[in-house]
Amino acid sequence: MKVRLVIYFSLIFTFFSCEKEEKQPPLFQVLEPGETGISFSNDLTETKALNILDYLYFYNGGGVAVGDINNDRLPDIYFTGNQVKNKLYLNNGNMQFEDITETANVSGNSDWNTGVTMADVNGDGLLDIYVCAVVGVNGLRGKNELFINNGDNTFTEAAENFGLDFQNYSSSAAFFDYDNDGDLDMYLLNHAVHTVNTYGPANIRKKRHEESGDKLLRNDDGKFTDVSEEAGIYGGPNSYGLGVATADFNNDGYTDIYVSNDFHEDDYYYINNGDDTFSEKSKEKFGHQSRFSMGSDVADINQDGYMDILSLDMLPEDEKILKASVGDDPLDLNNMKIEKLGYHHQYTRNMMHLNQGGKYFQEIGLLSNLAATDWSWSALFADYDLDGRQDVFISTGIPKRPNDLDYIKYVSNEQISRKMNNSRLVDQKALEMMPGGFVPNYIFKGSDSLNFENKSKNWISQDSIISTGTAYADLNNNGRLDIITNNLNTPAAIYENQGQDGNFLQLSFEYSDTNFFGIGTKAITFQNGKMQYKQLFPAHGFQSSSQMRLHFGFINKTIDSLYIIWPDNTIQKEFKVKTNQSLKITTENNRDTFNYAQLFPRNETWFEKIESLPGIDYVHQENRFNDFDRQKLIPYKISNRGPAVLVADLNGDGKDDIFFGHSKFQDSELYYQKEDTFEKDSLTEVLKNNKTEEAAVLAEDFDNNGKQDLLIASGGGEFFSGNKALQDMIFYNKNAFEVQNLPIKPENTSVAVTADFNKNGYLDIFLGNGAISNDFGAIKDSYLLQNNEGEFQPVENKVFKELGMVTDAVWSDFNDDGQQDLIVVGEWMPPKFFQNKNGFFQDISDKILPKNLNGLWQAVIPFDINKDGKTDYLLGNWGLNTKFKASEKNPLKMFYADFDENGHTETILAYKKDGEYYPINGLDELVGQLSYLRKKFPAYHKFAGKNIEKIFGKKPLENAKVFEVNSLASGYLLNKNGKFIFKQFEAELQVAPITEFLEFDFNNDGNQEVLAGGNYFGLTPYHGRFDAFPGAIITSNGQIKSGGETGLNFTQKEVRAMNLVNFRGQNYLMVNFNDKAPSFYKINSQKR
Amino acid sequence: MKKISFIILGILLIGCETRQAEEIELSANDYHNTVDRITDIMVHDIFSPPVASRIYAYTNIAALEVINSGEKNLPALTPQLNAYKPIPKADTMANINFKIAALVAQMEIGKAFIFSEEKLVNYRDSLYNIWEEKNKESFKTSKTYGEKVAEHIKAWSSKDNYKETRTMPKYSVYTDDPSRWQPTPPSYMDGIEPHWSKIRPFMMDSASQFKPEEHPEFSMEENTVFYKELKEVYEVRQELNELGNESDEIKSARFWDCNPYVSTQRGHLMFATKKITPGGHWMGICKIASKKSNLDFEKTVYAYTATSVAIADGFISCWDEKYRSELIRPETLINQHIDENWKPILQTPPFPEYPSGHSVVSGAAATVLTQLFGDNFEYEDNTEVKYGLPSRNFTSFNQAAEEAAISRMFGGIHYRAAIENGLVQGRDLGSFIVKNFELTPVASR
Repeated sequence: MKVRLVIYFSLIFTFFSCEKEEKQPPLFQVLEPGETGISFSNDLTETKALNILDYLYFYNGGGVAVGDINNDRLPDIYFTGNQVKNKLYLNNGNMQFEDITETANVSGNSDWNTGVTMADVNGDGLLDIYVCAVVGVNGLRGKNELFINNGDNTFTEAAENFGLDFQNYSSSAAFFDYDNDGDLDMYLLNHAVHTVNTYGPANIRKKRHEESGDKLLRNDDGKFTDVSEEAGIYGGPNSYGLGVATADFNNDGYTDIYVSNDFHEDDYYYINNGDDTFSEKSKEKFGHQSRFSMGSDVADINQDGYMDILSLDMLPEDEKILKASVGDDPLDLNNMKIEKLGYHHQYTRNMMHLNQGGKYFQEIGLLSNLAATDWSWSALFADYDLDGRQDVFISTGIPKRPNDLDYIKYVSNEQISRKMNNSRLVDQKALEMMPGGFVPNYIFKGSDSLNFENKSKNWISQDSIISTGTAYADLNNNGRLDIITNNLNTPAAIYENQGQDGNFLQLSFEYSDTNFFGIGTKAITFQNGKMQYKQLFPAHGFQSSSQMRLHFGFINKTIDSLYIIWPDNTIQKEFKVKTNQSLKITTENNRDTFNYAQLFPRNETWFEKIESLPGIDYVHQENRFNDFDRQKLIPYKISNRGPAVLVADLNGDGKDDIFFGHSKFQDSELYYQKEDTFEKDSLTEVLKNNKTEEAAVLAEDFDNNGKQDLLIASGGGEFFSGNKALQDMIFYNKNAFEVQNLPIKPENTSVAVTADFNKNGYLDIFLGNGAISNDFGAIKDSYLLQNNEGEFQPVENKVFKELGMVTDAVWSDFNDDGQQDLIVVGEWMPPKFFQNKNGFFQDISDKILPKNLNGLWQAVIPFDINKDGKTDYLLGNWGLNTKFKASEKNPLKMFYADFDENGHTETILAYKKDGEYYPINGLDELVGQLSYLRKKFPAYHKFAGKNIEKIFGKKPLENAKVFEVNSLASGYLLNKNGKFIFKQFEAELQVAPITEFLEFDFNNDGNQEVLAGGNYFGLTPYHGRFDAFPGAIITSNGQIKSGGETGLNFTQKEVRAMNLVNFRGQNYLMVNFNDKAPSFYKINSQKR
Repeated sequence: MKKISFIILGILLIGCETRQAEEIELSANDYHNTVDRITDIMVHDIFSPPVASRIYAYTNIAALEVINSGEKNLPALTPQLNAYKPIPKADTMANINFKIAALVAQMEIGKAFIFSEEKLVNYRDSLYNIWEEKNKESFKTSKTYGEKVAEHIKAWSSKDNYKETRTMPKYSVYTDDPSRWQPTPPSYMDGIEPHWSKIRPFMMDSASQFKPEEHPEFSMEENTVFYKELKEVYEVRQELNELGNESDEIKSARFWDCNPYVSTQRGHLMFATKKITPGGHWMGICKIASKKSNLDFEKTVYAYTATSVAIADGFISCWDEKYRSELIRPETLINQHIDENWKPILQTPPFPEYPSGHSVVSGAAATVLTQLFGDNFEYEDNTEVKYGLPSRNFTSFNQAAEEAAISRMFGGIHYRAAIENGLVQGRDLGSFIVKNFELTPVASR
């Protein structure tokens, strides 16, 4: 009876939980070794001589190479074993495999095998096998081996003959033609094994190190020559290479390279210069990279014809693991590595780099839902469900988690350190104390947006096996890609694809004598105007190589056209190609040279970057203030929101002048426009004040004397509430500037906007105040100042009291009654609409705005986005490319109270995950502010996975003030007959916070556009940097043009101000960034 | 017959309840054991040296206060302590076993100050079970009194600014000043306890009372004192390289390392080597001396208390100067200017260089111990055996302090000035403690 009850109950439960999910059989079925004949298992044996203590990559596992070695059109499989012998399985069809290792003579002779790749190295039309080894670490012997295919299912090891018999610390290798001379060259990926206590400076990568440095080998008629140095390939002692991907990233017809490096070393992005050399450009082209980079893969995920890159890391998804593991570096250490040692920005999570026209990459891992897949090794993009979009499979797991915090701090000491110091023996028991990392593999389904849906629980089984190297191939020629994983201490797995839907096209190539299978060949398909673009580089993922074919999935049965671009950059085309077939494509005679520029046109340039405007020599320098030193748990900095910039005709000569605000400790700068240059004014004493930080600067004639006065509102996150440095002032332009303090309490002013709201002929001011230093969460009053003939007086109205953490405001007649209304936005609050009724302001937001619009709003601008003649409002928010998660149902929460009762307030941020609210911060960070928690949680595992009530107690949370955010997406309020609905912008406007808007008819087509700018770096390494937004144009019919398409690129810069400057009759766009010189763009305003 | 005897036995057992209770005998060893237990937990929980010294001081003071409220046979120390109010009297002195009450007070304070309470509670409860079995009445009264004293000491300690300093701003590392301290390899930890000078001293009138003379002026010019001292650290390391691991210098450096958290990284694998702090080490020496002198329970508590107060004030005094001068560590400068790959024998601890904490604390502790146990007190120091280091022999506390001080240069973590001036600073403080406490010798020799 009891049992039955439970069953009923669980049935009900299942029904409920599956309400939306259609019940489908899993896409993949794992075949048992007994079914396939594949019993290979990469079994590890820890010995005294070799274990995780002696060799840091002891748990990295083996690789898989798939290829048809006997040309029977059935892909065969080769597995490498670290300590066990390698295996070759011949595919006999129907998923039946035969172990022919012994007869084929390919078991290998190295003590420790790693990566494997298949390629026809000697150009005889038969796939050879190249196996990498680690040699020299703790007595490991052997060499990299090249098994040349004899054509009769036997092989002969001949690495030495080819000059490829390296005795290095190799991870894997990739064969491709780097110099476009027609033969296959090789990139050898090696890894360092030393674990020094100090980080060397980044530039030690330029000193070559034989065993750990990567190598580029040029194929000189069958002999491989090391050309690393002359080709510009780094090979330093700090290269922890774990992944190499080759592709033509910038579509110039030459193959480029992306190398993933573990630990503090940057990933390398080698652009092929086309003259047999490479230029490494990761810092220029990438805002940030994965830190513990492992495997990688490339694919065109957004179908724009440019190859995107996924580089894997080890961020856990599970709260219990996440909060018990070492996270990102503390901010200071992170900064030291970047500023003092010269490394790039790196954070611990998978990075999805979206290629923007070959010009730069946008990192969108968090937005795309691919950031956290725990200890990840191999990524394989492919269209597994044949719906025309790229999905991705990620292999994960580690036998022991050495980054477990309890192990490091509490367990290791008692268990191993003394043994280490004394005898260097490893105690098996000590290793057993380390928690295991048996994580099920991940698979994600691609979509039309940039978002990937986690299908791990639907498409594959949830076996907690440790998979390392992986490859895909259509093993049974049914047109659906199967996946092969090499597993640690468990038999290798064959994931048979059992999909039913969709259509496929598989292409293999026969190209030339020296590159028989046509590595480097590109194929482009068009179906209903949608492009799919693939390049044949079988070595990818991790230590592995996949089938020597290109595989496409389609929803419709016929492909409109198919372009084949051969490695020599010639093209042949096919039209109306039928799907559901595998084609072998051979070269046609008389092929045209492919014109990349035609298919991938250079974008129109609305904006043309220029060096500067003559005479302007201004660089904003942010002073080194760390808000987190003072309040360790605040969500972000508030001290780096400058500079404030003003463009206006200050001296009445009809020319634009420029006022640049500065950070604390620096004077503002004022430039007057002269005939053909700008001239820096020596600031009059009254304007000099380097103790303040200007937050908003306005020029208006406040006293109606015909001259522009200056309103300088001060802010900054370094001053306490009421501090004189926060005093807002007006400098009246009389014979000289005369200063007058505004009659309000000094606070962190964020915005000042003017309008004559009471129509008395004098401009009134709204001053919005933001979060205040040392008491984040306290809400200060904002002010409406009424101008009584040049004298200001605060308007008494409770709606402006404790208005919120205001960031922006705008006067706009939103109800079309001819009176200027006020709109205010801010962080942890909804947009506020104040209706002006004959000079009295009423908050009518509840009546005309949708509910649940609390956001981290940064900017607002009126703009008719749908050309219906009614004013809509564009809103800049935090964006969706963030670890913050917020929705109407599950808001992001911030609790504000004095939790430790020491007279100072704290904030605790919490997000919802699997039905529970968890703190964003880890235990160490929390303890840094709330020391009592260390006593409450003397071990990390006691803290990890606990919800906020269990951590902080119900009462203290109930007594705290709670702030919520329901929406992080930027978007717009669409005017529907005086009421508004909120619409999210599309994904490309969600990659970072949008902080500034500027309206103008940039392309001179008679319609106004809005330029949006953003990005924000005032965060801890937990968040990383929001650096991916290049800027975008929003047109009057709601279309989005990404910055790259118009000639803008604000990535890696924090936009703080955008202004038009008219100089000698020409309009320029001036963009000001935090801690940088401004950028100037000439606006090409010829009619289009 | 058998049945009957069972019944009789039963009656007898019940009768036991009313029988004359056994006096609970405690020896000095019981006190040593509790100090050791608290030390073990501190090592596990990873307390920095200043914080550890505070725990030693309060736990010992609590115990001494209980002892002194009994048959007062020791000079009182507490009236000299800053902001201290006398402990409450027990409702009745009858039936209180003051040694038990002292241990209860000591453990209650310990429990409040360490993190892993469970570990101390388990130990405490096993003692409580034994005592309760022996003499329930006496145990209960003693426990109640011990807890009452502990509450009193806790209230006093709660006003020493410790709690407030937990959440004061983090030490900012951003500077253009080349002489200013920077985080050091391999963990590049934040500067610890930058606000420790704001902790209320136990006896000093202020944290700066024993401000040492200024360190040689920072300069990277070759003929300056500072540069020569920097060069000396580098050269000593080279000499020691030649002498090898078995040299007495290296052995002494390791012996006096007293770094509670030395981290090692090997790829993704990280682990910690944990040891006692300088304060913990001198508590160990106090134990050795007490045992060697056969001190009774009461005098043992007295000796621990005087020593721990000297150490605690030593850290306040030392940290006051450390974050005043904010001097850069030799490792940072040598890496920057002389040898990029240079590594000291000891891991550089995460706080500014001047003066040497071990020198200050050793100077203070040795001065107090010399007063208590006499000069030329020979002993074998086996305090570090538990942490895998051999024992060493000393002819006096002062000799030990001098060795501890100079070992910091062998260890490559301090310049000479920090050692010499630190020792002076510590000894001055020690003499002040001796004088103000009117410390009397506890051992007749």
